Amino acid sequence: MSDRLRKYILVRLLLTIPMLLILVSIVFVVLRVLPGDPALAILREGASEEQLDAFRASMGLDKTIPEQYVEFLSGAIRLDFGESMTRDRLVIDEIKTFFPATVELALYSMVVVAGMGIISGAYAAKNRKSPADYTIRVASIVLYSIPIFWLGIMFQMYFGAQLGWLPVFGRLTSGNVPEVSITGLYTIDALITGDFDLFIDAIKHLVLPAMTLGLVLGGAFARLTRANMLVVLEQDFITAGRARGITERALVYRHGLRNAFIPIITILGLQFAALLAGAILTETTFSWPGLGRLVVDRIFDRDFTTVQASILFFAIVVAGINLLVDILYGFIEPRIRY
Amino acid sequence: MSKKGNNSIDTKEELNTTLSEEGIGLLGRFLRGRIWYGAEWYFAVAGATVLIAILLMTLFAPVLAPYDPNGFVAAPFIPPGGGHQLLIVRDSDANNVNIDSLDQQVFGVIRNKNGDKVARELTDSITRYGDLDALALALAAGEVDFAFVDELDESMIPLSVNNLTIVVRGMGTSFPLGTDNLGRDMVSRVIWGARTVMSVALLSALFSSTVGITLGLISGFMSGLVDRVLSLTMDSLYSFPGLLLAIAMVAMLGPGMINVAVAVSVIYIPTFFRVVRGQVLTIKEELYVDAARSLGAKSSSILLEYILPNVIPSIVVVFSINIADAILTEAGLSFIGLGLPPDIPDWGYDLSKGHSFLVAGHWWLITVPGVLITLVSLSFSMLGESLSEILNPRLSDQ
Repeated sequence: MSDRLRKYILVRLLLTIPMLLILVSIVFVVLRVLPGDPALAILREGASEEQLDAFRASMGLDKTIPEQYVEFLSGAIRLDFGESMTRDRLVIDEIKTFFPATVELALYSMVVVAGMGIISGAYAAKNRKSPADYTIRVASIVLYSIPIFWLGIMFQMYFGAQLGWLPVFGRLTSGNVPEVSITGLYTIDALITGDFDLFIDAIKHLVLPAMTLGLVLGGAFARLTRANMLVVLEQDFITAGRARGITERALVYRHGLRNAFIPIITILGLQFAALLAGAILTETTFSWPGLGRLVVDRIFDRDFTTVQASILFFAIVVAGINLLVDILYGFIEPRIRY
Repeated sequence: MSKKGNNSIDTKEELNTTLSEEGIGLLGRFLRGRIWYGAEWYFAVAGATVLIAILLMTLFAPVLAPYDPNGFVAAPFIPPGGGHQLLIVRDSDANNVNIDSLDQQVFGVIRNKNGDKVARELTDSITRYGDLDALALALAAGEVDFAFVDELDESMIPLSVNNLTIVVRGMGTSFPLGTDNLGRDMVSRVIWGARTVMSVALLSALFSSTVGITLGLISGFMSGLVDRVLSLTMDSLYSFPGLLLAIAMVAMLGPGMINVAVAVSVIYIPTFFRVVRGQVLTIKEELYVDAARSLGAKSSSILLEYILPNVIPSIVVVFSINIADAILTEAGLSFIGLGLPPDIPDWGYDLSKGHSFLVAGHWWLITVPGVLITLVSLSFSMLGESLSEILNPRLSDQ
């Protein structure tokens, strides 16, 4: 590792601190400073003044805003989110239960996004201004104009209800419980333990949600791939290759795609936030027991601690992924420096 | 594109429009755009056409909507195309009704003679209040008459009221998009829903553009510490899953049109900020800005009179795409159940309600709002995309 790369990673690591601070502060402002009263939001109208006060005291809401902020921040740093208000367990344990489901959904969706986006984007770039190009471009705009939950419902209706091919709810057939939990990702766990039936069941349940989430984001990704490919295909080495008689297909898919790969992978990493946002709606549609669904469910359960912690956790995950993408980028692309 | 060197002129019409460069009206210039910009022009026009239609629908909702969007105007679950109410009564205890000729196996149709209003009221009183006297009275008064049918078909929905099984069926053209689970007219709900969706989307785009543009101008123009802090904040906000932030805000602020608009707007502030800041950084190095400065123009007038006008084309594009996205986010919030209060007709809300009746086969409840959300969002996207190609041809991949 060169000195410059080490310096880059160090600077990037240090930059994560203010970024995390800002993200936590945004969450704090939304949950504590905005005109809404969490006590009233949780207990609803009709709660007596004593009940409200008791709630505020238990949550530390009776302190001044700066005091609350310090407490909030230190809790976030230590990943100490307190106890769930509706379940008899620590919030961090709740997150540990639900988060792997979101990761599994996100990973498989990522495969759909990358596969569909790169293939159709590269094809559109190769055949620029052809009917195929316009079709792919229009299709990608249409795809990201579809409400993701609606696409999910349509899939449920057609592949689930009508054809009966695939399950439409949950991660596994009810009654099917994995014996051991190593990573929490059912497909990976099943492969490790060699439980083939579990693997098939988990994959079957993954197909529709991952397709839904992947297709909607894949549209946007195809457009980005196309734009990046067009830039690469105009470069001199492509012209030189063409002059040497390399076939157009090899130029585009071998030489072009390889060189467009770095920006494409970076964009894919940065799409992760969008993926998580989409996952919230996908999880709600498919009753997928992930973190997004946890937030939504607990809002209606009025479980303030869990909601607050899950949102904070999302923020931390996003900051972590951005850091990871940037560091990877530093390794692949030696020219980038701060 | 030059007039003479253009060899793509192949139809008489195109030749004419290209030759008559001067003296053509606004319409002529507009139509000529399709030769200049090709597919982008068609995208823009298609998007704009749909949007104008939706905007008109929004403006004239009170005139266009045939019924009150919240009124229980007919039987529930009338499929699209269903209309005048026909009530089919299968009797198991005919004493309540003055229809002696009925027995358990016979299905009778009550036909509506004096327009659909009477039948609608009858359906309402029977299905909602179990009131069969009104039916008997209407029969006696000759407002409706009676016929037998041999068997039930799929379009008939049985309801149990008192000891009778009443079957309701729609026919005719009164409800082109059917009715929902509470017997509300879907056409009216869709029209009034457009008003809600467009208001929220426009409001939120106005909020986020105002804040985003202001901060972007300041950040790009001032540079230094202010710029760094603002940029980092906006980058952080940009990387946060927007829907989650909106969910948290609506959960805290409570339901309501303004609250939802504010929550949605926060997501798109960074987009405006980034575009405007980037543009300002380029434009402020231009010669004419230098010239203005050396002539003694104040910073504020440089910013507002020299820089802002040049940023506007990019803003228009972002604004359009922002609305497309805001519509989807608002629908997502409603789908989760965190959007607007239930008495405001809203596509996302209808969609999420319809989800639970899908298993029973009432497909139109989710299809209609879903298609509309997609269509409107798509139109704004297409308009934004093609405007971006038309207004900033160098930035695009042409």
